[in-house]
Order: sequence, then C-alpha cells, then structure tokens
Amino acid sequence: MRRRIPEVFLGIGFIGIMSTLFLGLNWAPSVSIDAFESPAAQRIFYWHVPSAWAAFIAFGVLFVGSALWFFKRSPFGWRLHVAGTEAGLACGLMTVWSGCVWGAAEWGTPWDWTDVRLNTFGLLTLLALFLVLGRQSQPDGVETRDTFSTFGLYGFVLVPFTYIATRIWQIRHPGPVIGAGDDGGSLQSSMALVLLIGALSFTIFIIGHMMISMRITHLEQRLEHAQKRLDGGN
Amino acid sequence: MEGTNYLTVAYLGMIAALAIWTWTVVVRSRSIETRLEAVESSIGIDVSQADVIATQSTDGTQDDSTV
Repeated sequence: MRRRIPEVFLGIGFIGIMSTLFLGLNWAPSVSIDAFESPAAQRIFYWHVPSAWAAFIAFGVLFVGSALWFFKRSPFGWRLHVAGTEAGLACGLMTVWSGCVWGAAEWGTPWDWTDVRLNTFGLLTLLALFLVLGRQSQPDGVETRDTFSTFGLYGFVLVPFTYIATRIWQIRHPGPVIGAGDDGGSLQSSMALVLLIGALSFTIFIIGHMMISMRITHLEQRLEHAQKRLDGGN
Repeated sequence: MEGTNYLTVAYLGMIAALAIWTWTVVVRSRSIETRLEAVESSIGIDVSQADVIATQSTDGTQDDSTV
C-alpha cells in the first residue's frame, strides 16, 4: 500500500483540479465586464495561478536537490533534482500556455516581450526544459550532475525575481491580488475559495508527480546497476 | 458564449495533456518495477548500491582527501 502513495496523491490532486475547473467555470462569479476586454477568459486564472504556484514549489525542490547533490553528493538530492526539473517543466508549460490563452483574449497578443514577469517566468521554464533535455542526452556521471546542479542552483535566482517583478515593474502582467498589501487584496471570498482549492489540488498533484519521478529515477539506477552486474561489471 | 467555448477548449487541452503525462509516468514506473524485480531477484543485488555514480563520487572524494 505504501508503494502506491504517489498514485493516491495523483488521483486526489487530479480530482481536485477537475473540481476547481468545474467550480471556476460554473460557480465562481464573473468579473466586471467594464474592467476586462474578455471577462470569460479571466476564468483561466483558476488554472494559471495554481499551476504557477506548483511550478514555484517544483523549482524550490530543484534548488534543494541541486544543493544536496552539489555539496553533499546525496543520491536523494539527485533524485529531488530530477523530480524538480520534470515537475517544473510541466507546471511551467501549463502556466505559460494558460497565460498565452488569456493574453490572446485580453491583450490581443499572447506574449509581451517587454513585460518582466512574463519573460523571467519564460526563462525559468526554458531552464527546466534545458535540464530535462540535457539530462536525457548526456551520459550520467559526476560531471554531468555537477553541471546541471549548478544550473539548478543559479537558476533559482529567477524565482524571487519573478515573484517581485510585478511589484516593481507592472508593465502588462496584472499585479498581485492576494497579499497585495493592507487592504487584503481585491478577490471576492468565493473566488478566493476556488483559488485555494486549486492551489491545494495542484500542490497535492505535483507532490505525487515528484514522488513518482523520484521512484522512477531510483528504479532506473537499480536497473542500470543490475544490468552492469549481468554484463560482468561491478 | 463564444469566449466560454474558447476557454473550455483551452481547459480540455490542458486536462488532456495532464492526464496523458500522468498516465505515461505511472505506466513507466510500473513497467520498470516489474522488470527490475525479475532481474534483481535473479542476481541478488542490494538496493543501497543502486546509485553507482553517487557511490563512486563519494569514494573519489575520500580518495582525494587522503592524497
């Protein structure tokens, strides 16, 4: 039963995500028509924000895993690094894609090269893509792991930079609606509830994915070791 | 209404991508698990020796420190 915990997390997370979408489309109130070019498209917010939240969790895991490998040579750290890159790439792509859908409907363009947050988040996603593709194309070894861990460590600088970007330079991406300041934000309670369910669901889902990714990495290492033994190595 | 349809299509695309990704990962995990159980049971390997790179790296560090 313990071996199936990641699958349980994935199942609960997936049901939660579906529930969030249902509530976001059918239950949450619509925004002011005057304030938005495309009020219906605003509902993608219930997917976009939780997936960005999950991406930040994944990039945090990537940073911790990179540090554990680089400084402690921890096999657990390397598995965290691998899980963080894959989860970060998936959540990053979901965030970018949903943002582009909203941008196309609201701004008339899916991307703005002058907006700081869009571009720093895009760079984070590209970093995750580089790490996933690089690891798959390079032979596994200490140098390879050190190189990718270094990228994981330095790349994390983009996370706080992305977080504060709209507080410093609000160009096109909307500013913070939660924890924005003393007024408690601009969200209605029902909207905040759906958003909270979404954030929880995405968190559970991405934890399940990272657990299963760590298990796969461990199994692959065991399989490689077993194959070497079969071939007459150590 | 057109905007809602557009949004629904975008959502369905993302849900399908999530479902496919999850399914692929779970199937891959189970497939490797089955293969590994068969191989390991036939040659008797200790699980703690799985990450050869980490073991070699730690050994190398210890060797370096003795030089």
